[in-house]
Amino acid sequence: MDRSEATVSTLGDMPKSRRRWPLAAVALGLVLAGCAKNAPQDTFDPAGPNARDINNLAMPVFIIAGVVGVIVLGVVVYCVWRFRDRGQDIPEQSHGNPKLEIALTILPAIILAGISVPTVVTVFKLDKKSDTQCVINVTGQQWWWEYDYTTGNCGKAKISAPIVTSGELVIPANTPVLLRITSRDVIHSYWIPRLNGKRDAVPGRLHTLRMQADQPGLYTGQCTEFCGLSHARMRMAAVALNDADFQSWVDNQLEAYTPPKAGTLAATGEATFTAQCSKCHQVNGLKNADGSPVLSSPDLYVVSGVAPNLTNLMTRTAIAGWTFDILSEQCRLKLWNAKPADFGKLYLQGVWMDTPAGATKPVCFDEATLRSWLRNAPAKKPMYSDPTKLASTGGKYRGMPNLHLTDNQIDELIAYLLERK
Amino acid sequence: MFTTGSKLFLGATAVSTIGAIVWAASTGGAAGVMGTVGLTSVALVFALLTGLNFLTRDGNVAGNTPDPDRTTAAGQPAVGNSMWPLVAGVGAAGIVIGTVSRPVVFKVAVVVLLAALVEWLVQGFSERASGDPAYNDGIRKRLLHPLEFPILGAFIAAAVIYGFSRVMLSASKDAGKIIFIFLGALVLFAGFVIAARRGMAKGTALGIGVIGGVALLSVGVVSAIDGQRTITPHPELTAAVCLGKGSAEQEAELDKNTSEKVAAKSSVAANVVLTSNNRLVAFINGIPNVEYHELTVGRSTETRVLFRNETGVDQRLTARLGTFTQKDGTKGNEEAVCTVRIRKGGEAFLTFKVAKPQAASSTPYQLMIPGLDGRVVQLLVP
Repeated sequence: MDRSEATVSTLGDMPKSRRRWPLAAVALGLVLAGCAKNAPQDTFDPAGPNARDINNLAMPVFIIAGVVGVIVLGVVVYCVWRFRDRGQDIPEQSHGNPKLEIALTILPAIILAGISVPTVVTVFKLDKKSDTQCVINVTGQQWWWEYDYTTGNCGKAKISAPIVTSGELVIPANTPVLLRITSRDVIHSYWIPRLNGKRDAVPGRLHTLRMQADQPGLYTGQCTEFCGLSHARMRMAAVALNDADFQSWVDNQLEAYTPPKAGTLAATGEATFTAQCSKCHQVNGLKNADGSPVLSSPDLYVVSGVAPNLTNLMTRTAIAGWTFDILSEQCRLKLWNAKPADFGKLYLQGVWMDTPAGATKPVCFDEATLRSWLRNAPAKKPMYSDPTKLASTGGKYRGMPNLHLTDNQIDELIAYLLERK
Repeated sequence: MFTTGSKLFLGATAVSTIGAIVWAASTGGAAGVMGTVGLTSVALVFALLTGLNFLTRDGNVAGNTPDPDRTTAAGQPAVGNSMWPLVAGVGAAGIVIGTVSRPVVFKVAVVVLLAALVEWLVQGFSERASGDPAYNDGIRKRLLHPLEFPILGAFIAAAVIYGFSRVMLSASKDAGKIIFIFLGALVLFAGFVIAARRGMAKGTALGIGVIGGVALLSVGVVSAIDGQRTITPHPELTAAVCLGKGSAEQEAELDKNTSEKVAAKSSVAANVVLTSNNRLVAFINGIPNVEYHELTVGRSTETRVLFRNETGVDQRLTARLGTFTQKDGTKGNEEAVCTVRIRKGGEAFLTFKVAKPQAASSTPYQLMIPGLDGRVVQLLVP
C-alpha cells in the first residue's frame, strides 16, 4: 500500500504540525492533575508543625529551583533555536569564557550554600524528640500497620494498659507524639503527608518520627516503599482528637470485653469467630467455654506473625490495611468534612454515627464491604494466600486467605463484629 | 597454527584417546586391558604423527615453488609449542569421566576445557595476526594477561589460604599462636630482605616465594590429612543460665571473654540501666530523663534493648519470655534470653521477640537481673 494511503495510526505517522497537539494535551493534563480540589494527601497543605517546617523549606527551594530551571531551559531553547543548523559554516571554536565559567560555578555554590542553612536547621528541628508526650509503636507488615500504645501518659490522657489497634493512628491533637517505627517482614515506609515526612519501617531497626496535628481531623497516608503485591493497598490514617475525646477513645479501647447476649445472632457469631477467626485475630477478653482466654496464634499461620487485633473493630472507619471503608460513603464524607470542633464526637461514634437510640443496625455501616471481605478477602485485595503456593513460606500466608465462610456464618460474624465497638 | 595434516592427526589422536578412556571405564577384564592398551597405542602413534606433521609443515612444498623457504607454509617459522590442545583433550576426557563418576570431576573438566579452548582460540588468532612473532606474542599477552594474572593470583591466594587454614585448624590453640607469630615474622623478614636487597635477582626472589608457597601448601595438605584438632563447643546462653540455674563452670566460661562495649546504639527500644544503687530502670530512646518500669512490646517484633551495668558487681540482664502450655497439654519450661555478665560500666545488647500476648503465659514477661529479687522492668505484650 502506498504510504500516503495508509491510515495515520501513531504519533510518529502524524504530520509535525498535528503532532504537537496530543503532546500539549498530555502536558496540560499533567499540569491540571496538580490542581485537584480534594487532595487529602497533599504535602503542600501541612496540618502540623513538622509538615509545616518541611513545607517552609520545600517551597522556597522549589521556587529557586524553578527559577533556575526556567532560566537554564530558556537559554537552552534559545541556543537551540538561534544557532540551529541552517547550512552556515562552523563558527570559530574557542576554549570558552573563563570569567563566565567561574561565575557560573560560584553562583550555584552560593545558592546551594544558602539553601543548606535552612535545610540543616530543619533537619535538626524535625529530629527533635525531647518534647514528645506520647510513645506509640508503629509496626508495618504486609499490608497493614499496627499501632501499640505504651502505658503511661499520652498528652493529657492516661493509658493504664497497652492498646493495640490497626489502620488508624489515633493521637491527641496539638500534642507531639513519638512514633517508633519498625517492620515485621519487608521494608515499608510510613507517610502521613500533611503531618510529617516519610520514615522507612525496616525489620530489625527502630526509626523514630515526630507527629503532631494542629487540630482534630483525619489525615490519610500511604505506604511509600514498594512492599509486595498489595503495596498500593497499604494505606493508613492519623486521627487527631481533642484531649477529652482522646481520653474517651482510650477509655473505650480499654473497656472490658462485653460478650453478646445469649441466644442472639451475635452470640453464635462469637462461637464462629472463636472457631474460625481467632486462630489469627485477637479479641481481648474473649473466653473459651471453660473460661480460659482465647489466644490467637498468628505466628503459626502468617509470615509476619501477627494479624489485626479486632477488639474494637467498629471504632475504626476502614478495614484491611485501611483500604475499604466500613463507613457508608455519606457518613464518611460527613466525617471527613466535619469541622474540627465536631470531628471527635462523630469519629467516636464510628459506624453507629447518626443511628437513633434503640436501633439494632447502625445507619452508617457499609455492610456490603465487610460482607464481601469476609466472603473472599483475596478477591478484594491481592494477597499471597493460595494454599497450594506456600512452600516458600513454610505454609504461612501473607495476608488473609479465603475462609470459604457460608452466608450464615458471615451473618453471624457481622452481628458479632458490630458489637466490637 | 596447525597445518591441514596435523589437524587430521590431532583429531584422530583425540578420538582414540577418548576411545581409550571410555573403553577403560566401561569394559572390564582382559578385553578391557587389551582394548585400552591398543587404543592408547593408537593414540600415541597419532600423537607422534601430529607432531611430525606439525614440525615439517606437512612437507607440502612443490618442486617448482619459487623461493620455497620464504613463501610456503612449510617455510614459515614454526609457531611456539602449544599445550592447549593437550589441556583441552584432558578437559574433554575429564568430562567423559565425570559423567560416569563424580559431578565435581565433570564440573572441573568443563572449566578446564573452556579455559583451554579460550587460550587455544586466542593463541591461534594471535599467531595469524602478522608475520612478526614478537608482535603476535604481544597481542596474545594483551588479550589474555588481564584474565590469566587475576586467575593465577586467585589460585595462589587460595593455595596459601588453604594451606594456612589447615595448619591452624590442625595445630592446638597454643601452638597456633606460636605458628601464627612465627610465620608472620618470617613473611615480614622475607619481605624486608627482598625490599632491602634491591639488587637481588628476580629469580632468587621468585624462588624464595615458590619454595615458601610450596612448603606452606605441603604442610597444609599434610595437616588436612592429619585432621582438625578436637574443638570443644562452648556452652550456650540457655534459659537455665539466664534464669540463674546454670552451672558455675558454664557461667564462668560464658562470661570470661565478654565484649562489654557496644558501638551500634541506634535502633534501641530502650536503655536499661542497673544503677549504682541496684535499681533497674528503663529509658526510652527519645524521651530523656523519664524512668520507665514497664515497656510495651509488640508481638512477633524483634525488640532490642541496651543494658548498662553501673554497679560494681558483674551482672547479666535476662528477659523472661514466658511459660507456655505445650500442644500435648503439658506445661513447658520457662523461656528466657540474656546477655553475658557485664562488668561495671559495660554495655551489651539484648534482642528478644515475643510471639504470644501476656495472657498466654503463666509467668510474667519481664527484664530482670538474676539474683537481684525485685529489680524488674515489666514487659507488656498486648
